[in-house]
Amino acid sequence: MPQKTPRKPGAAKPRAKSKPKPTDIAVDLDPSQRPGVPMETAPQPLAGARVPIASQHADVPVYKHAGRKQMPPVFGTAQPPRGLSGLLRRAAYAKPDHHPGHWVLLLLADRVDVWEHRVKRSLPWAAPSAVVLAAGLMWRARRA
Amino acid sequence: MRALTYQGPYRVQVEQKPDPRIEHPQDVVLKVTRSGICGSDLHLLHGLVPDTRVGCTFGHEFTGVVEEVGGEVSQLKKGDRVVVPFNISCGTCFYCQRGLTGNCENSNPGSDVASGVYGYSHTTGGFDGGQAEYVRVPFADVGPMKIPDGMDDESVLFLSDILPTGYQAAEMGEIKGGETVVVFGAGPVGLFAMKSAWLMGAGRVVAVDHLPYRLEFARRFANVETVDFKRVGDIVLHLKELFEGRGPDVCIDAVGMEAEGSRAHRVLGLGLKLEAGAPTVIQWCINCVRKGGNISIIGVYGPPWNFIPIGTAMNKGLTLRMNQANTRRYMPHLLEHIQKGRIDPKAIITHRFPLEEAPDAYELFSDKQDGCIKCVLMPHGHA
Repeated sequence: MPQKTPRKPGAAKPRAKSKPKPTDIAVDLDPSQRPGVPMETAPQPLAGARVPIASQHADVPVYKHAGRKQMPPVFGTAQPPRGLSGLLRRAAYAKPDHHPGHWVLLLLADRVDVWEHRVKRSLPWAAPSAVVLAAGLMWRARRA
Repeated sequence: MRALTYQGPYRVQVEQKPDPRIEHPQDVVLKVTRSGICGSDLHLLHGLVPDTRVGCTFGHEFTGVVEEVGGEVSQLKKGDRVVVPFNISCGTCFYCQRGLTGNCENSNPGSDVASGVYGYSHTTGGFDGGQAEYVRVPFADVGPMKIPDGMDDESVLFLSDILPTGYQAAEMGEIKGGETVVVFGAGPVGLFAMKSAWLMGAGRVVAVDHLPYRLEFARRFANVETVDFKRVGDIVLHLKELFEGRGPDVCIDAVGMEAEGSRAHRVLGLGLKLEAGAPTVIQWCINCVRKGGNISIIGVYGPPWNFIPIGTAMNKGLTLRMNQANTRRYMPHLLEHIQKGRIDPKAIITHRFPLEEAPDAYELFSDKQDGCIKCVLMPHGHA
């Protein structure tokens, strides 16, 4: 048990400076009554748990990092990888997650992903604008 | 359905998305009634968590009503009101069986750093979150807890994350009665860590932050002493002096990777990305806690590394404890505290928004405007 910091003789009791409500004081003083003590318990399945766990199927690519042998039975399928950012993510997940390169590639992929979406969002107005601009430049070149 | 989506660093919007569906026989789909914005959502918003994809829906603190039930779900039925832990836990793996549901190995293919988490990037499994009208909830017989009749959703909403996280933070401090405890960060998790420290019998609790309104709130909500670290010069020396020149028995880091207080760490971690955010508070904890003391870390830090003075920790004989909260195991105990009036989690809600105004809520919360402590979204209105 850690030793408490002793108070200076004659000093005001610290509790007087920050007095909690009476109902709050030390109701969970006994560590054995706290839900997380000990943090690691004797093994037993949680209430409601079901085995074996069926394996989820996905119709989109889902990556696992190279440090894992198998896909877990359950995973998210939101925002499947695509485009250049998807290729970068695939390269990242080819490395185990304890390799810094795994994380560096993912951060890079995130930035590329943002730019891909910005370009995609701008296409409805950028593409016609580019056509008009190109046509204008060609017309001007022919006149000259 | 309507859902908040990530559009790149500092940009979110609400847009139309396909409804979630049952993808596994142990899934349910929930109609979301309340969804909190967490401080750790700001790390996603600010582009600090790797593999946060454009289109991702954030949100790992939510309550809802069961809308659709998978074939193997036996404990829940359509219409049940539930609060959902932020960790996605199978209940049967090596870690879940030992109570470490925050470390479940059956819900996250992307990395071994955490279990699956709702709306927290593909680094934690690639699940969409609850800042939406509907959300998919896997392992529905294991995680969600039914909300008792007569209790409103907001009273139990924070059992999903920040209340168990704050409680576990105090628990990891190994308070056995009379200890001096310093909590860095007077945000929602820090506030609950302070309340929990009292519940465990702490002798003195001090909150450290730099936002006067948050310190004022901590004094009122948690009855703690407060220190504004921007007003005391050297915070480590100040805290040592406050506790007889030795420092406190326990330090709790309830801040995480976007800490103020060190320009060097902010440049290295947040600017240049040479470390995973700014570990300023861990550094302060190691330097100010007394020798042989305990440090509890529940602030979120990203992979792959941070610069912290581990040699000092070794030489001072410190115990460092940390983990994502094993939320599910705390829910019944903390529900009892709520029902008996020992903790009023709802009291920290300062702002409520309809889902369509979620980007405004993020701006307000991120910029600490208008005395904001906690924002809650109401995807289906006040119902």
